[in-house]
Amino acid sequence: MSRKVTRTALAFISLVVGFLWVAVGVSGQNGQPSTRNGEWPHYNADLKGTRYSPLDQIDASNFDKLEVAWRFKTDNFGPFPEYKLEGTPLMVKGVLYTTAGTRRSVIALDAKNGELIWAHSYREGKRAAASPRQLSGRGVAYWTDGKGDERVLYVTTGYRLVALNAKTGSMINSFGTGGVVDLKLGVVKGVNQQIDLETGEIAVHSTPTVVGDLVIIGAAMREGATVPTHNNTKGLVRAFNARTGKQVWRFNTIPAPGEFGAETWENGSLATNGNVGVWNQITVDEELGLVYLPVETPTSDYYGGHRPGNNLFAESIVAVELKTGKRRWHYQLVHHPVWNYDMPAPPVIADVVVDGKPRKVVAQLTKQAWAYVLDRVTGEPIWPIVERPVPQSDVPGEKTSPTQPHVTKPPAYARSVLKMPDDLIDFTPEMRTRAIDILKRYRLADTPFNPPMLGDLKGMLGAIVPATATNWPGGGYDPENGILFAPAGNTFGVRTLVAPPAGYSDIRYVSGIAGRPFVEVWGPGDCCAADAGISSRENLPQRYAPPAGGAPAPPVPGLNVDGLPVVKPPYGLLAAIDLNRGELLWQTPHGDTPDNIRNHPLLKGMNIPKTGQPGTAGVGMVVTKTLVIMGDPQITTLPGRTRGAMLRAYDKRTGQQVGAVWMPAIQSGSPMTYMLDGKQYIIVAVSGGAYSGEYLAFGLPGNDDDR
Amino acid sequence: MMRTRRRDRHKGHRAPVFLVAFVTFVALVVFVSVVAAQNAAGSVWDGVYTDAQAKRGEAIYYERCAACHGSDLEGGDMTPALVGGVFTSNWNDLSVGDLFERIRISMPLDRPSSLSRQQTADVVGFLFKANRWPAGATELPRDLEPLKEITIQAVKP
Repeated sequence: MSRKVTRTALAFISLVVGFLWVAVGVSGQNGQPSTRNGEWPHYNADLKGTRYSPLDQIDASNFDKLEVAWRFKTDNFGPFPEYKLEGTPLMVKGVLYTTAGTRRSVIALDAKNGELIWAHSYREGKRAAASPRQLSGRGVAYWTDGKGDERVLYVTTGYRLVALNAKTGSMINSFGTGGVVDLKLGVVKGVNQQIDLETGEIAVHSTPTVVGDLVIIGAAMREGATVPTHNNTKGLVRAFNARTGKQVWRFNTIPAPGEFGAETWENGSLATNGNVGVWNQITVDEELGLVYLPVETPTSDYYGGHRPGNNLFAESIVAVELKTGKRRWHYQLVHHPVWNYDMPAPPVIADVVVDGKPRKVVAQLTKQAWAYVLDRVTGEPIWPIVERPVPQSDVPGEKTSPTQPHVTKPPAYARSVLKMPDDLIDFTPEMRTRAIDILKRYRLADTPFNPPMLGDLKGMLGAIVPATATNWPGGGYDPENGILFAPAGNTFGVRTLVAPPAGYSDIRYVSGIAGRPFVEVWGPGDCCAADAGISSRENLPQRYAPPAGGAPAPPVPGLNVDGLPVVKPPYGLLAAIDLNRGELLWQTPHGDTPDNIRNHPLLKGMNIPKTGQPGTAGVGMVVTKTLVIMGDPQITTLPGRTRGAMLRAYDKRTGQQVGAVWMPAIQSGSPMTYMLDGKQYIIVAVSGGAYSGEYLAFGLPGNDDDR
Repeated sequence: MMRTRRRDRHKGHRAPVFLVAFVTFVALVVFVSVVAAQNAAGSVWDGVYTDAQAKRGEAIYYERCAACHGSDLEGGDMTPALVGGVFTSNWNDLSVGDLFERIRISMPLDRPSSLSRQQTADVVGFLFKANRWPAGATELPRDLEPLKEITIQAVKP
């Protein structure tokens, strides 16, 4: 009898405990959303930058059966369609939140069927047109107090922080001024000179990072290849209160005079230089109370003659305190940056076991194909990163750093230096010979830190550097196995400088080559807002005029042999790095062999293995219980299927492709996944070429009762 | 009874003959019109623009397009190339009308729809020249319908 009571009581208690555990575990802490119950509450799934969801309904056995559950076209969220839709939607409590269209509207969709619940847009006129980072951006952030107040936060193209009621899309009046915080206020150039609120150069594509009651926001400026001045806007990161919009802290990525690191801008050059934004996603370790900032390039991208010194905190990971924004540590990956290596991916937070010891690490993927792995408490490298002498610049006025940090472990996950001649095309011996000839006109180095040079169409054409290995979509991380995944381009680029036309810029050398007309380089974010039409491009100092009757300027012989890349495949790949051991686990070519290679007349009759696609730097992933899912960056027309691109699934342990589904356009925004009413969905943004922006939702074929 | 059956059989025999004839006729009409359409407009390999047009397009390109797409049309960090593999795979199997409309509606991104139809057609002509598709005796038209009849084919048919 008493035993029976005890047993019943025990069963009851364990039931209650189990229920509580489930309730707490599933809904996260304090009513906060979580990937643990099938939601996707942050751009990168979580604050750690993993892009990981533990869902497992879609797996190797059924990936091929995925079908489009619904689709959402974004054409009319702006005055003209967008062809570069980059958002990753969030999913909280059955509702998707994301940005769309050339206006960067915010939309809320029913996650079950894509029905539009509400839409918001903010018309900024000239301020949007002047923005250096336009189009729809990467999406939004979500905040809740856990008691029913739910907000969606995003940054407009004109650099305003807006808070919306997540249920209705209306602006939150008690936040900032009528729901808006003017982020340009307090942004400076030169020495404490407030930038113009309308035309001042600053904006951002990344989404705000919401942690607790803080909203953390970075900054981006114009693409810096051929800019008119080195004295442009200075980077900064700020945290605001999610309830009120009040600024809580600010971190200057270029120190103010007297601040730590000011001396790394020699000759007082911090007064006359700018840039150094944080344009990628910011990650957070809530337990440690540290925020990890991926800080980018100083101005200008390829010439640093106006800013002697190491230029802190350019191209550094900076850990700042979550509560105060005060610097705890920093690690500079590149001294005195002149390669535009940036910090192209969100720092990934990982807990691994190294040499038998549990380690809290932060891992940074890069354009130079190294994963930098640091102790995230102290900033010390986990494996040796060695300062090595590097070739010095011979560009007048430039003083490059005598040494640069070189990662020794894990090994480069894609090509970081061009190995002669082993990396060169070898479909035929004749092609190899031609490739060797082509490279005689370029300067090579056995380090990624090959300084830019003055190129001349009649002489040397430039310095060879890794083309972007990983770019803005960043990688992913499998917390179960401690594996970091890296999409990577695997080809090379060229750095060449030229003096700009008189009166164009106060920078002595900009991107370009002697012997060709100067062309101003614009990035896609420079020029494309809904309110575009007020263009400084009309005032270009020098216009190209085709020579009357004569031949146009001869083209630069590129890094290709009759249209084939000068290096051998793979041209793009997906790599997996074991962060416990610091070793490459696997690498696999990503994307079908491009049409122009598969159909190349010189390769007729040859058996060309899957080459992967060079644009792989531009695609991101979602990691699940068993899979890494990532789409093609390039359209192909393969025999047996309609022209299109594939969304691919790889076994995350082996790198084997286990499934693929067809998409009408390339993946232009990183996929996410969620679970709703027992069904797992994958959403991916597609666009490009003739295909305007669209969110595609994939799911397994449903039962009839789904309808 | 017998008669009826025979008649039925007879009818039953005639129907397929008629059907086959009809289907053959329709197929022939479709085939002929497809071939005719291909002959009339065909693909970018058939000399669908003129050198003079490409020359005009070149000037417009360097004024309005090159800042993003590059002086060699090689594209930028995040801007698609307009020559070579990426370009041809992006547009393979689509019509020149698709390309024309894409440019007309959304380009140049700093001032969409600011090129006239004629300028757009000229720029397309320049892109074809740059991709080494042959010039011919007639200009690319500025109207959408005939442009839709021309296919972009990366590989010479």
